[in-house]
Parts: sequence; C-alpha cells; structure tokens
Amino acid sequence: MNLKFLVPVALAGLLAGCGSVLSPGHASHDFIVTGAAPDHLFVINPRTRKVVSDFTIPDAHDYVSVIVPSPNGKVAYVLVNRTRSIAGINLRTGKEVFRANLESPGERLTCMYAFDVTPDGKELIVYVYRTRLEIDQYKVQAPRFLIFSTAGGLHAKPLREFPAPRRVQMVLAKKDGRSFFAIGFNLYEYDLKTGRLIKRRGILDWHRPHHLRPDMLAFWPVTEPTGIFSSPVYSTLTGPGTPSGGVPETSLLTLNLHNGHLAYHDIGRTDALIFSTVIGPQRKWAYGAYTQLTKIKLDGAHWRVADRVNLPHTYYSVNISPNGKDVYVGGTMCDVIIYDARTMREKGDVRLPGCDDQATATLRVIERR
Amino acid sequence: MHWRVWSLISGGVAAVAVLLGTVGAAHAAMMPPAAARAGLAVVQAHCSACHRETAPGHFARISEERKSPEGWAMTIFRMENVHGVRLTQKQLRTILRYLSDVQGLAPSETRAGRFALERRPNHPILKLPYNLPVMCGRCHSLARVALTRQPASEWRKLINFHVGQFPFLEYQDGSRDIRWWKIASTQLPAKLAKLFPLHSAAWRQWRNRPRADLAGVWIVHGDMPGRGDYYGTALIRRRSWDRYRARYVLHYANGAAFNGSSDAIIYTGFQWRGTGTLGGKPVHEVYFAAANGSRIRGRWFLAGHSEIGGDWDAARTTGAPKVMAVIPSALEVGTRQRLILVGRGLRGGVDLGPGTKARILVRRPYGLILSVRVNAHAAPGYRTVRVGGVRSRDLLAVYRRVDHLEVEPAFAIARLGGGTLAPVDAQFQAIGYTNVLGAHGRVSAVRLGAMPVTWSVAPFNAEAAKRGDVRFAGTLRQDGLFVPAEGGPDSKRQFSADNTGDLYVVATRRTGKTAVVAKAHLIVTVQRWIKPPIY
Ligand code: HEC
Ligand code: HEC
Repeated sequence: MNLKFLVPVALAGLLAGCGSVLSPGHASHDFIVTGAAPDHLFVINPRTRKVVSDFTIPDAHDYVSVIVPSPNGKVAYVLVNRTRSIAGINLRTGKEVFRANLESPGERLTCMYAFDVTPDGKELIVYVYRTRLEIDQYKVQAPRFLIFSTAGGLHAKPLREFPAPRRVQMVLAKKDGRSFFAIGFNLYEYDLKTGRLIKRRGILDWHRPHHLRPDMLAFWPVTEPTGIFSSPVYSTLTGPGTPSGGVPETSLLTLNLHNGHLAYHDIGRTDALIFSTVIGPQRKWAYGAYTQLTKIKLDGAHWRVADRVNLPHTYYSVNISPNGKDVYVGGTMCDVIIYDARTMREKGDVRLPGCDDQATATLRVIERR
Repeated sequence: MHWRVWSLISGGVAAVAVLLGTVGAAHAAMMPPAAARAGLAVVQAHCSACHRETAPGHFARISEERKSPEGWAMTIFRMENVHGVRLTQKQLRTILRYLSDVQGLAPSETRAGRFALERRPNHPILKLPYNLPVMCGRCHSLARVALTRQPASEWRKLINFHVGQFPFLEYQDGSRDIRWWKIASTQLPAKLAKLFPLHSAAWRQWRNRPRADLAGVWIVHGDMPGRGDYYGTALIRRRSWDRYRARYVLHYANGAAFNGSSDAIIYTGFQWRGTGTLGGKPVHEVYFAAANGSRIRGRWFLAGHSEIGGDWDAARTTGAPKVMAVIPSALEVGTRQRLILVGRGLRGGVDLGPGTKARILVRRPYGLILSVRVNAHAAPGYRTVRVGGVRSRDLLAVYRRVDHLEVEPAFAIARLGGGTLAPVDAQFQAIGYTNVLGAHGRVSAVRLGAMPVTWSVAPFNAEAAKRGDVRFAGTLRQDGLFVPAEGGPDSKRQFSADNTGDLYVVATRRTGKTAVVAKAHLIVTVQRWIKPPIY
C-alpha cells in the first residue's frame, strides 16, 4: 500500500523512548502520559479515566510532539518548539527541570523526532539535522548525535557529539547502557561513550527474496512494557504465484533493546493501514492503531492479524497497560480510548480538557508506586 | 500565506516607473534605460546588504538566475517573509519588472512550464529525465523547475535551501526509500544545469530584440470548458512601453454577449499579465505573444477560482486570409444551423463540401456568420472549409451518430472548501467522436467537440460506496461542474472523516433508445492552504 495518500505531510515524525522495564509483582499503578498543542502535557489515570495533571510546557511554541519518559517515570522529555527544543517536565510537579534548546552559532538545528534517554536516566541521545545559515545561502551539514546530561539544567549543552547518518527516524538506547541504536536506511548501533559504529544491519537496504523495497514510517515507537520496539513495515510481495504488480504486504519489525535482536514477521496482506504498534507484556499479542485497532497474534514464528475493530476516528499512537489487559489508543485528536485487550471492546474514554489536538504526541505509559 | 501576486504582477493598478539618473543601460531593447536604472536601484538598496554586488550590477545569487515574473515574485515574497526585506508596493513592482525583463526567459524557454503559469487544472506531470518527477515533482509541479535557468552551483544552493527549510523532505514518501539527499546534492545539480542552463542562445537573441507593439484590433476565439466556444474582437491600446489596455467585444456560440476589459503589463516583451473582467466577472489573464507580435495565446481564469477559465487565441485582423476556428466544430446530418467562421480576409463564397449548403448571413470584423443546411445523406468526416481561395482542414466535421464519448479531463482533483477558503471545483466536459471509414477500410475516430450530456456521479470502488462518498463529497451540476462540499471532520461519517471522496464522473448521451456513456475519475481531497504563484 502506498502511504502517500494516507500520511499527512505534517506527520513527518515521532520518536521512541526506553520506557521502564517493568517487573511484575510491584504494587504500582500505570499512568498514561500524552501531550497536546499548544503546550499541554497530560497525565491520565486509566482506572478512574481522569486527567490527573494538565501541565503547561514553557515556550512550547504551539508544538508538542515526541514524549520520552525517564526510566523511573518521574520526568517526561518532550520535543517542543517546532523540533528545536527538548523540555524535561517533572511529572509530579509540572516544573521544567531540563531544557535543551538545540542551537549552535550560525546554524539551525532540528531534532528529527529521534531521541531517547539512557537506561540509567542520566543522558539524552538526540539526533539533529543541521543547516548553516550564511548571509545569502543555506548549507546543509552532516547530521549529528548530541549527548546531553539530564542534569544539565535549563540551559543544557551537549556533553559529546558524534557524526550520524542521514535520514534516521529513531534513536533507541540499548538496555545495557553501553550503546544505542539508530534506525534509518539501516539499523546502526553506536557506542554511547565514543560514538563508534559497532554494527550495521539492513532495514531498507535489507533485500528479502520476492519483496520490493520496504517502506517504513516509524515515528510511534513505544518500547514499554517489554523493551521491544516494533513498527509496521510495508512491502510488496512479488514472484511466482503473485498477480502482476504484486501483493501489498504488512510486516512487523521488532528490535529487542535487551539483546539487539532484529526480526521481521509477515502478518499478511495489507488490508488496513497501521501507523504504530505495541507488543503486549506476555509477547503473545501485539496491537496496532490507525483508523482501526488491529490485534496481532504472535504465535512462535507465525504472526498474523487476529482481530480488527473500527476506531471512532484516526489515532496515531497505541500503548498497553503493564498487565496487558488494557489497550490505549491516542494521538491525533483530543481523546484517549481504553479497549479490552482480549475482547477488543471499548471500556472507556478520556477527553482531554480544552480539546486541543494531540497530533503527533506519543502516548506513553509510566508506573507509579 | 496570502500571495498578493495579482495586484502586483498584472496591470490592474496604474504605476509608473520612477525615473532615475541619466546614464544609458545595457538592456535598452527589453526595457527603457530609466526603468532599468530604477530596478537596479531597488536591488542595490534592498538586496545588496546580503547579496553582495561583486561587480557593477552583478549581485551574488540574484544575477545568477533567470525566471518568470511569477518565479521572481515567489523569491521576493520569501525574502520578505523569511529574510525581513521590506519593500513598498511600488518598489516591488519596479524590481519585479526589472528582474523579469533583464533576467527573464525567452519564449521557447517558457513553453514546457506555461501550463502552470496559466494555472491549468489537472495538468499531467511534466515528463523530465533523471527521476525528476519523483525527486522534485512531489510537492510542486515541475514547472517550477522548468521555468528556472541557473548554473549547477545555484541549483545546488537551491537544493540546500530546500533541505534547510523543509528538513522532513527526506522523510516523506518518495524520498525516504531513496537516498534523496545524496542524489540531489551530487549528481542532480549538473544535470539540472544542462537541462535548464543560465546561458542560452535563445535568451541571447531574445533579450536584444525590440519589443513588438501589441496595439491594434484583434480577432479572438476561445473555449471555456462547461460553457463552450466564444469569439469576437479585442481592441488593444498601448499606454506605456510595457502597459496595455484592452476592450473585448465577444459572444458565446449562441450569440449572447461575453464582453470585457483588461489592464495588462507585458513582461520580457511577450508575457501578458492582465487583470480585468469577462462576462461581468473578475478575471486574470496569462497570455504569451508570438515573437513578431502577430498572435496572443494563453488562458484566462476567474479571480479566486483559477480552475474555472478558458483558452484564449487572438490574431490580428490584418495578415494573410485564414480561418482560425469554426463554431460549432461539428454538424449533425439532417439539420440546419448557424455557423460562425472566425477568421480574417474571408472574401468570396463559402463551400463546406457535398451534401451541405452554406449561406452567408452577415460579415463581421471577426469573420462570417452562416446558415448551413446539412442533408440527411451527407458523408460523415472532416470537411475542408473553403472561403474564396482559402482552404482549411480539420476545423469542421459532419456526423450522423456520436459513436463514443470521452470525458475530459479523464482524471481530476477537486478540493473541499471551508472557512475562508473557497473550494477548488472541477470542470468536466464530454467530447463526442464519430467513427469514419477511411481509405483502406480503416476506421478512424473524428473528434466532434463538447456535447450536451446528462451528468452523474458514482462511487469509484467498493470502499467509496461503503463510505458514501457520493453523498458527502459534493455535487455535480448539469454543466459538468463539480462543486465540492465543506471541509473539516464530518461527524456523520465513519471515523469522522473529512468529506473527501473517490468518484466516477459519468456522462450519458441518449439518442432514442441508445445511450453512449463515458467516465472520468475524480478525487475530492482536502483543502490546500497555500496557493503559490506557480503551483
Ligand atoms: C537579510 C538578508 C537578505 C536580503 C536583504 C535579501 N536576501 Fe535573498 N536570500 C537570502 C538568503 C539567506 C537566501 C538563501 C535562503 C533562501 O533561498 O531563502 C537568499 C536567496 C535568494 C535567492 C536565491 C534563491 C531563489 O529562490 O532564487 C535570490 C534570487 C534572492 N535571494 C533574491 C533576493 C532579492 C531580489 C532581494 C532584494 C529584494 C533579496 N534577495 C534580499 C537573504 C537575503
Ligand atoms: C518537500 C517538498 C519539495 C520537494 C521534494 C522539492 N521542492 Fe522545490 N519547493 C518546495 C517549496 C515549499 C517551495 C517554496 C519555497 C518558498 O518560496 O517558500 C519550493 C520552491 C522551489 C523553487 C522556486 C524557488 C524560488 O523561490 O524561486 C524551485 C525552482 C524548486 N522548488 C525546485 C525544486 C527542485 C529542483 C527540486 C528537486 C531537487 C525540488 N524543488 C523539490 C518544496 C519542495
């Protein structure tokens, strides 16, 4: 399926985060974090279906997008200011505790939706595009990874900078705290301290037999609760037995942030578009959102679409409760809906006060004691 | 963004060049020295702080490209909106005319991109090599590219500007599966400079030609899809070296009046940009004069609704005798009709071939009005039109049956309205064809022109049927004009979708018990907020 007619240009992005590794058995509760224009950051209690906090992000400039919670769930790092700033907001008090305005003399820096926090919560890895602004021309520079200390305060400056490839859609910290992944034309793994390229594996450059070059728009990377990032990948199946023009096919790409394992699973013919997915805690089901909520059965090596229900409108972002019982869909407009993960029935919904658009804000799940 | 392009580009408001200094300029042919000096003075005063004057009259970047007035307007608007340039309306006009004249395009260099300047709706994408449709034709038409002339170094800077200004470009569909930046920053600039170079023989010759004087009496004919042919005369008067005023005495095919007037500026010696009225409605004109000033052709369109408009073809009343058009262009056998031969120097009798009888009713400055009888057994096919010694082929056909129809355009996009934004309509017409047996038993289809038909819409596929697109997307009028609905989420639709749609537009022509049917594909999509001078 061609994404061209379906993906608004403004949607060019979203990012991923590490999320907390949840150990079952703790007396903790999960909360949903989402954002909305012009400057809202919301915390939602899914049990009461109430917005418990509606924080104002300073200098968001009518733009709230990717959200990355710290591993302890205390701070949310939010891409604001038309991708030129990252604000860290304390999720209890709403206070801004971190701010990185992406700037450099004579240059324009933009975070291409790709940033993450390290598992120890101490550093942010931010992928930026750079343009030199000269008196009568712009000069495109090579992109970079900027490493910030989360203790950098409200005028954080990068601690380290590394060269980066172009067109990276996502940055994800590995759980061992020593390296991080970048997803672009390939999957790259870099040393967090030195920026050395450790490993490169094919994503778009990966040639699968009987498949045309795949298309992936992975801007809704949610890694909780399993530490596995997943994203739909669209391709066309060709070769013997397929009609001319091929068969549009959806696969799920997964990247395990514990061990770096990368895999593709075909889930069937592309009958409906999926924008983002989440893997359930028992790794038996995955869920995908767009105009429909899709439930995918992960049965050993055999993954397939098991159920599909219509959503009231389009939702870009999907997440799941730590126990795997409730699926949350959000993003786009001003509501978050809770579905029963088993029956796929709607259990309730939360309207955001003011009804401002979430647009590309990521729906994240944090845990609180 | 609001583009003030029309108040700026066309001759709607009188503005006279400021006369500065006394020294002659090198651009005497294209514009008078005083106007050239005035333009240069604005560049020096308002652009040279950033674009250094590296040699007298030569400014970094500015002097290294040539383009259309609309192209210059786009750049100057960006200099205002993004780089803080402040110009008065008068300075804007002065610099726009200056740059368009001294760094413009020769007539042949505008040909490929004229459709965009004329704002022709649903124009197919330009066929250009090097994967340019994918690399450069996704966000705007390739006319923007084809109407720019610059060296590789400037193409490279323009590409750098694109990524600096729109960093997500590389992430969009069409870019993200190729190495857009690598291709665009390494191979492409030299290829673009080869296709569209700064220096060309065509421009060297054109810039030194004296301007043709367009004043005089002109014969006009044209076609307005949905309304049909029109014809008549234009009286064009010269007001200054680059300004004209025109008066139009025109008629629809049925003789009803379709009058108008216009004020126009001529850029680069041949590009007519006018603002006025036609049939009582405000219109803009984008015309191009032939090099010797003997013909003016182009398209006019309604102000604010550029998708509605008509072709324009004007020739001088003086010159070799000729028939320019026959209205209507097809005659059914067994009928008697009024026929207009648009043309000049049409003296002597009229002969439309065997089985026809033509009588001249009246002679007009734009041609002849005839009464024609076509008998029931007249042979179908193209007829040679003979007037005195003048013969014209392929302008008139005789037919017994309409064997098939084609809807034009075969594919169209309409856009929803909403708020302050007018919808973008889509105008269809049904073109009739009759089959004629040729010399070697070969059947050929003879084009008869637009036919009256019954219009309807149908869902394009099962999905569209399920969504109820026919009910939500808009209405198709019986003149073939599709008027889209209001935009915005519609709570009556599934997923609160916008009133978009995927439709067939169906033309049906019934004669007795038989019906001929033809279809076109119409996509009704969301609003477009930005309407730049070159789409
Ligand atoms: C404040 C500085 C500044 C001023 C003043 C300025 N420009 Fe520019 N101009 C730029 C910059 C920066 C660029 C490159 C970025 C871009 O294209 O927007 C540029 C690019 C251009 C280009 C090349 C790009 C293209 O699209 O063709 C042209 C031509 C141009 N300017 C013309 C002008 C003219 C004419 C004026 C005076 C009316 C002017 N500029 C005044 C800063 C300026
Ligand atoms: C992401 C969409 C996009 C793509 C892809 C794109 N353009 Fe553009 N282009 C734009 C926009 C938007 C503008 C208008 C800039 C302005 O003036 O605000 C523009 C303006 C232009 C202009 C007019 C500049 C001026 O102001 O005079 C030219 C010429 C042009 N593009 C050429 C190209 C070429 C060549 C390519 C391929 C290498 C290309 N474009 C690819 C979006 C795009």
